[in-house]
Amino acid sequence: MSATHDPLVVTSRRTIHRGWILLGILAIWFALGHALRGRATFQIGVFDQTSWSTRIGDAASSIRGNREHNPIFNYVFDPIRTFINGFVTIIRHVISLPIGKATIPLLGWLGVLALIVFVVYITSNVRMALLAALLIFGCGALGMWTDSMDTLALTITAVLMSLAIGIPLGIWGGLSDVGLKILTPILDLAQILPTLVYLAPLALFFLIGPASATIATMVYCIPIAIRITAFGIRGVPHSPVEAGTSMGTTTRQLLSKVQLPMAARTLVLGVNQTTLAALSFAVIATLIGAPGLGKPVINALVVRNVGNGFVAGLAVVLLAIMLDRSTSASVKKRDSFVPASPEALKRRRIGKVVAAVLTIVAMVLSRQFAWAAYFPKQAIFGKSLSHFTDSVVAWTVDNLGFWTTGLNKVVTIGVLNPLEAVLSESPWFVTTVAVALISFVLGGVRSAIVTSALLLGIVATGLWYDTMITFTQTIVATLLTMVVGVILGVWIGRSERVDRVLRPFLDAGQVLPAFVYLIPILGFFGPSRFTGIATGIVYSIPIVVKIVGEGIRDVPKTIMEAATSSGATKWQLITKVQLPAAKNSLLLATNQGLIFVLAVVVIGGFVGSGGLGYMVILGGAKPEMQGKGLLAGLAILLLGVMIDRVAQYAVRRNSAPKH
Amino acid sequence: MIRKKKGMKAAVISAAVALTLTACGGGVDAASTAGATSAAPEACGSYAIAMHAWVGYTASAQVLTNIGNKMGCTITQTQLDEGAVTYDAMEAGTIDLIVEDWGGGRWKDWADRGAVVDLGPDGNIGLIGMYVPQWMADKYPDITDSANLNKYADLFKTPESKGKGAWLEGPPGYTTIGEKLVKENKLNFTVLSQGSESALIDAFTKADKDQTAVLAYWWTPQNLLAKIKLARINFPANDWTDAAAASGLTDYPETVLPKLAGKKLAESTDPFGRLVKNWKWTNDDQNAVAADIDGGMTPEAAAQKWIDANADQVAAWTK
Repeated sequence: MSATHDPLVVTSRRTIHRGWILLGILAIWFALGHALRGRATFQIGVFDQTSWSTRIGDAASSIRGNREHNPIFNYVFDPIRTFINGFVTIIRHVISLPIGKATIPLLGWLGVLALIVFVVYITSNVRMALLAALLIFGCGALGMWTDSMDTLALTITAVLMSLAIGIPLGIWGGLSDVGLKILTPILDLAQILPTLVYLAPLALFFLIGPASATIATMVYCIPIAIRITAFGIRGVPHSPVEAGTSMGTTTRQLLSKVQLPMAARTLVLGVNQTTLAALSFAVIATLIGAPGLGKPVINALVVRNVGNGFVAGLAVVLLAIMLDRSTSASVKKRDSFVPASPEALKRRRIGKVVAAVLTIVAMVLSRQFAWAAYFPKQAIFGKSLSHFTDSVVAWTVDNLGFWTTGLNKVVTIGVLNPLEAVLSESPWFVTTVAVALISFVLGGVRSAIVTSALLLGIVATGLWYDTMITFTQTIVATLLTMVVGVILGVWIGRSERVDRVLRPFLDAGQVLPAFVYLIPILGFFGPSRFTGIATGIVYSIPIVVKIVGEGIRDVPKTIMEAATSSGATKWQLITKVQLPAAKNSLLLATNQGLIFVLAVVVIGGFVGSGGLGYMVILGGAKPEMQGKGLLAGLAILLLGVMIDRVAQYAVRRNSAPKH
Repeated sequence: MIRKKKGMKAAVISAAVALTLTACGGGVDAASTAGATSAAPEACGSYAIAMHAWVGYTASAQVLTNIGNKMGCTITQTQLDEGAVTYDAMEAGTIDLIVEDWGGGRWKDWADRGAVVDLGPDGNIGLIGMYVPQWMADKYPDITDSANLNKYADLFKTPESKGKGAWLEGPPGYTTIGEKLVKENKLNFTVLSQGSESALIDAFTKADKDQTAVLAYWWTPQNLLAKIKLARINFPANDWTDAAAASGLTDYPETVLPKLAGKKLAESTDPFGRLVKNWKWTNDDQNAVAADIDGGMTPEAAAQKWIDANADQVAAWTK
């Protein structure tokens, strides 16, 4: 293989060149930072206010105090809140919340189970219906029946409303280029925004309760619904659309008869993704008053009842599998192009009638007899599972404590503390210039300008020091994520079989709310920064592995064959061909890794991570800290946008033509 | 498509049938099917108690919940952080009662608007402070004076504490002024938020068992003090009640813990309204229930045990 003719080698030489420059910048940054350490770090006490935090705090208090007389509240926020509250309450009354003096909701457990199974049967098939029955029963067996149903009620409400708003907007973005241009930056921002950040502002306007929780969930879900809908509409092939236009159909007809039906598969995928997103938000929504499974999970954080939190998390998982499988099964159903035989259709029709009758019988029974109304106590094993979990964690801490505290200490003393010293103890201008230079090397002039602007914005918030603490944890967690993620990603990218084995785990990992594994991780590592970091790693690994795997798989076969024929070893193949060729995927994976990690690292504020996340939580808990909490949310957002922009510019620059 | 429409129709019809059946057709009240609730002599509303995450609070709230439900009221519990979040929820009407508030008057803004009403003391006297395990106080007798803390700061170093002593602070949802105490008293310590009551319990338990050093946030009434001996660090005498206005130089105050109610409950004269206004008990009472919960009993069972053992007192509250 002669080096001069191969474009790949040229790229990698340039990379090496750039790598040296980056190392140089880092070295100068660290040296300067060390020499000037402790100066201009903007470190302020947790309870010290800045001029902005006082102003924002005052504004928030005045909003809070004048709610009753403010026309915007009377005519906008309050009606929205009442409407959503009513909507949630109606669904809850059917499946989870007793009305008045009753001890069960409108339907007892058997009735609810039958209804869910019936809906799944109608939209997909018998197998899925049976699976759904098993999973729903499992929620009850975990001792989480009412909480599970509360979560389901809230999820259903949030999904319906998200779709009601998201699909029309998605259609707009799919049909109109102007629409897409307007929506894209908003959607990008929504994806960067860590969930913890918008809880407090929402609570300020919609108060604490199911309405706020539903709205927060919608903020999280609507972008997904919009994106996938727009994508589906844009993905419809041109020829049918042109055919329709030439036959003189109106825009409305074109949409309802051609584009929407042809995009149906993607639309259902959108429903699926929106539902899973809503469910994964269920836990954090508890912080602003969502009823349901989040309660025991959050409670486990505060009184550290690891077992109970784990069991509740498991119930979230069962619900997630149920919702995921039944919605994706209805996609598959649409896939079959072979028309069903008349007999099959008839069988199906009879099946539906029988199912409907059975469901009604079950619903009636569930209101008549105690055994069908109250989930049978004999079937509940949640308590013992909780105790078992507690003893596993206790055993691990007692016997493997050497390893868990050891790992914690190695990362904390070896990586976290030195890096934190550089980032937080260097003067702000040194760090700003250094990060801007790195951004310039990676992404070019515009990248550097945007980065500097955002960093100066963080300086302006007055929370520079805390931002650097959070930034440090984000970097450390992302580095560790990338190490694991690239190894696994290369593995699944090279082997179909490994991909088949790992993919279900990756899918599951993406659905699980981070809180669910934060609890056992807290059990193992105790309250420390490392607990937040470890949680961030678990949360971001699936997406990183998927992107890297995709990138490796997309490396053109011809390049691979050329390298193999010239006698490259497997290791050489990976390091010299596949990874360099998948560089864009690596950058993208890093970008996503950073964003995902940031969202979870701030949650670490609950378990001793400090930094901006702690400030946000403190702001929610203490009225006098409210302004600072909101400001900290803003700082997190600025940090997230900065991280995202650098990576985006880097990807764009990397994929630009090389001449 | 035809297939799908039929499916939808079937679903709609069956749902409609089901709702008619369940809403009016059946005519059997779920409560009577269950036979669970006893016939209540007097109408009583439904109320939600805010649940804060420490075991003593759970003890108080659970006792009221048990008594209230027994009287035919519908008492629910909602997990919420201490402070603004809960006052907001009270203003929104989603929460009716806080059984023990440590805010030292932080609810004043809400009270001025009539959203939160102070129902007077619940009988418990609270005292927050910084504590070390007893063995440290035995070995270094002068450590309990805050002025000497810096002398021993090195003993408390951890990888988390940035080269200074580790000051394990209470969770963000609690009343804490550690940052101010450290700053104003020029202590060579780093304040580390622990996030949970049980993290603090773990820290003290470990320190007691292994004779390791720990300085952490703690308070009474709390039944841990019956199991592990702790020594309180004394700061200059307290001169504040509202934590937000504390200078940071002086100690936490002894707090007469009030019960706070939302407007609806405060104005209510139904059995639960009367119970809440009459209810008052001691630190010992609370610790007794808390100890049972800590020992593995469910809060319901622990509360019921206390109620059964103190029937006279309960009868006086429910008059």
